[in-house]
Amino acid sequence: MAQQKIFDVVVVGSGASGGTLAGRLARQGVDVALIEGGPKLNTRTDFNTHAMPFEFANRHIPTMKPGKAGMDSQRTRGAGGKSQTWNAVAWRFSQRDFKGKDWDDGAGENWPLDYADMAPHYDSIEREVGVCGNLDGLTDLPDGIFLPPAPLKCSDVLLQRGAAKLGVKIIHVRKSTLTKAKSGRPACHYCGNCMAGCDVAAKYNSYDVHIIPAIRQTGKLTLFTDTLAREVLLSAENRVTGVATIDRLTKKPGEIRGRAVVVSCACVQSVGLLQMSKSRRYPTGLANSSGQLGQHFIPHFTGGIEFLLTKLKGKQLANDEGFLDHAYQPSFMHTRNRGYARSFGAQFGYQNRRGVGWARKFPGFGADFKNAVKEAYPAYVVWSPYGEKIPDGRSRIYLDENNRDEWGLPEVKRELHWSDNDWKIFNDMTTWGREIVRASGGEILDVSNEPKPNHELGGCRMGTDPKTSVVDRNCRTHDVSNLYVVDGSVFPSASEKNPTHTMMALAARTAEHLAERFKKGEM
Amino acid sequence: MAERRETLKIIGAISATCTFPYTGNELYGQHAKPHAGHTPGAQASTGPRKFFTEAEFALLSTLTDVIIPDTDTPGASKAGVPGYIDLVVNANPEHRKLMRDGVAWLASQNFAALDPAGRIALLTPLSEVLDKGRVKTMPERFFRLTKSLTCDGYFTSQIGLSQTLGFQGGNMLASYPSCEIPEH
Repeated sequence: MAQQKIFDVVVVGSGASGGTLAGRLARQGVDVALIEGGPKLNTRTDFNTHAMPFEFANRHIPTMKPGKAGMDSQRTRGAGGKSQTWNAVAWRFSQRDFKGKDWDDGAGENWPLDYADMAPHYDSIEREVGVCGNLDGLTDLPDGIFLPPAPLKCSDVLLQRGAAKLGVKIIHVRKSTLTKAKSGRPACHYCGNCMAGCDVAAKYNSYDVHIIPAIRQTGKLTLFTDTLAREVLLSAENRVTGVATIDRLTKKPGEIRGRAVVVSCACVQSVGLLQMSKSRRYPTGLANSSGQLGQHFIPHFTGGIEFLLTKLKGKQLANDEGFLDHAYQPSFMHTRNRGYARSFGAQFGYQNRRGVGWARKFPGFGADFKNAVKEAYPAYVVWSPYGEKIPDGRSRIYLDENNRDEWGLPEVKRELHWSDNDWKIFNDMTTWGREIVRASGGEILDVSNEPKPNHELGGCRMGTDPKTSVVDRNCRTHDVSNLYVVDGSVFPSASEKNPTHTMMALAARTAEHLAERFKKGEM
Repeated sequence: MAERRETLKIIGAISATCTFPYTGNELYGQHAKPHAGHTPGAQASTGPRKFFTEAEFALLSTLTDVIIPDTDTPGASKAGVPGYIDLVVNANPEHRKLMRDGVAWLASQNFAALDPAGRIALLTPLSEVLDKGRVKTMPERFFRLTKSLTCDGYFTSQIGLSQTLGFQGGNMLASYPSCEIPEH
């Protein structure tokens, strides 16, 4: 093989974690190769941001424009990864979230980090990318450096008043979405389809905010798109030397070499890549001397209540779906006597108004039926609580070697169980949701009766003990000194708060640590 | 479409005040360069009938208009619901037998010849069973599926979403509309 360039760092995955990390490293003078399995995208032209369902015969709005690849499967997402289609909710974790085991008498696990370790990195991410929100002064939901919050919707105000009667607070949501123009990005234009891909990058995505500027301004970042990672390569000296790849389009094998490797392909795929990287030294997957790789899978779980706010029935419909959800009900049960470990929070109304799947549940037919749906439409809200799952000893991520995709890569599978504690949280958050809806003058249409997984976390957890964790507090694997994992997989406990902002802060922290090691000549 | 162009103009004034590296048409590239087979703002055609025969399609259309009739806004068939149902049933083989049997049942009841009150009288028992969650027989299952597909097709159509429900979203706004709580 011809002599190949050796990068300082090879980062696998261009989403919120990998994109932030690669951009930050490049700005600190580190020479970075960023590998993305999916294609290059043009955020401005490739998504159907402003489409209506009736523009498509089957009423399904595809994520990508006709003929554009990306976002269609786990291995072909595209530059920016899931940050292109996220809802941008951005919370700081609190000290309780980092030390949940101490808070809850030994349940679950602690992070080997304190809030104080993370605070400067939350600061720097907020200054850089722009996070909007209100300063609420809540101990469990630390304030940050915010742009002005988006105003509340009418439905939020009604729910806020209802919840207040029960002593429950509802606040402005915080999002990595600009309410004011910043650093060359325009403010949100409230079109209401954030999760279809924001065509002006008012909503943060790693490609437009971190990756492209770093490529243009530093000359230190090289992006390899349509490049699937198939194995992280290990030397006889127990150091990683790069990543074996497959061209997504031609299926040709390749290799990208580096002095360090960072795996950031989103929780499940990151664990899968390490499990695919088997060697004599690590027969069950790279950096798995502990046997913990793939264990402690702790995704958030959601429930849901669909309801109508009576006061809004039959009222003039407000054009208020822009920015999606505007309010949030932070955790409050963690300070109360509750009979379970951890807690829950809730978002509401983040589904936009373009789908009316609930109409078929209305009784009857004919003109009365049609009018009933019309009257309900401005009043319809979905309550979406998120609960924290603590490790249950059984839920895991593993490879199915017998089930391979068109590139010959094994399917990465999830095994998920709901524990007693999960069910207790689920039932309690559903009860509270019903109470808040009732106190706000709502009529319940439907209630979810079982938890559903959401934000994927765990599987490669961080800890101080190499026997019970895979990476250390700097996201470096205990086993291999130049291999890092940075994304939701390293979370030892999940919090009930949306995780991406913490992943980005962790990526910023790891970038600083890695750049320091390069400066010291340790690599 | 005129309305959309209008909002673009408003936004254009805002973007001039910031230094976004992609300006003008490029910024709103989705609108400047619509892609083949997709016309922003217009309802897509479901194309020629694929599954139902002409006679079946006519009966189905009548049924959808009983479920969602013309009122102050047009009903199901004017909104293109029968074409949508044809497309969905054709794409989902598991629905085909039930839909064909159901339409044949409608024909056996002389559905087309019934007056409006007669049609309502025929469907009311089926709807009551559905609302009680006790669907069992073929006509009951047929009514459940047709009602679901009619709702899905109608309320995502241009007529259903924009005219009947009054959806105004998808536009670009210069600022977020403030909430006027009804009783204040």
